[in-house]
Amino acid sequence: MFVHGKSTVITVNAVDLSAFTNTSNFGRKADKHDVTTYGKNDHVYAGGLGDGAFSMAGVYDNGVAGPRDTLEPLVGTVITCIRKPEGTGSGLPQDSFSALLEEYVETNPVADMVSWQATFQPSDAVTSTNQA
Amino acid sequence: MDLAAVMDAVAGRIDTITGLRVHPHPPGSLTPPAAVVSYPDEIAFDETYVRGMDRMTLPVVVVVGKASDRAARDELAAYCNGSGARSIKAVLESGVYTAFHTLRVMRIEFDVVTIGGTDYLAALFDLDISGQGA
Repeated sequence: MFVHGKSTVITVNAVDLSAFTNTSNFGRKADKHDVTTYGKNDHVYAGGLGDGAFSMAGVYDNGVAGPRDTLEPLVGTVITCIRKPEGTGSGLPQDSFSALLEEYVETNPVADMVSWQATFQPSDAVTSTNQA
Repeated sequence: MDLAAVMDAVAGRIDTITGLRVHPHPPGSLTPPAAVVSYPDEIAFDETYVRGMDRMTLPVVVVVGKASDRAARDELAAYCNGSGARSIKAVLESGVYTAFHTLRVMRIEFDVVTIGGTDYLAALFDLDISGQGA
């Protein structure tokens, strides 16, 4: 079935930022090593170390559990992120991982809401499970 | 956001302007000068995840005297100015609300409305309102 994005839940450092978030991206990738030898007519590759990328963005809120108070002090630190791409519920998927908060940016357009975005570098393994 | 509470809150704030009759919903009839909080053009749900934020564009119509009267122009100008005791924008944006989080008067359009066979000068304010989605 298709799944709508509106129920996505994202928790950063044990703070649920979902209500202030309207977009997020999570990707996983792996290094590739060229192991082509003489006699081959095409490249041959082997997989290497895993890696990933994570970012989120949304509407600024000035509450104590809002994005500014939660994220700004954590820039440069490795924290725990939990992502529930289909929302909260038994059997639904969940990704849990440590990530370095690389960047927190606030944007103030003159004729719209203040917005924010954060960029993370996942660190070490991602634990993907189904919620209990 | 509760639509009725939002319309009441906006009307209540406009009601602090002396001499302007305020209707929190479109009335059966009105006597200028009057302000009418009308129904939103749209309500946008799910501006953030998990019902965090909804957003609406709410119209407010201010009707003053006859379109041909210079006094009506001057009166309407006071409501349309960006500042001043009768400025709809200044009064609304300086309010403190519990029914929603933010309000901005985005624009004004002008029109002539006919009430009881008389043409009245009117200003149509568009309000950008955001608040809790739940």
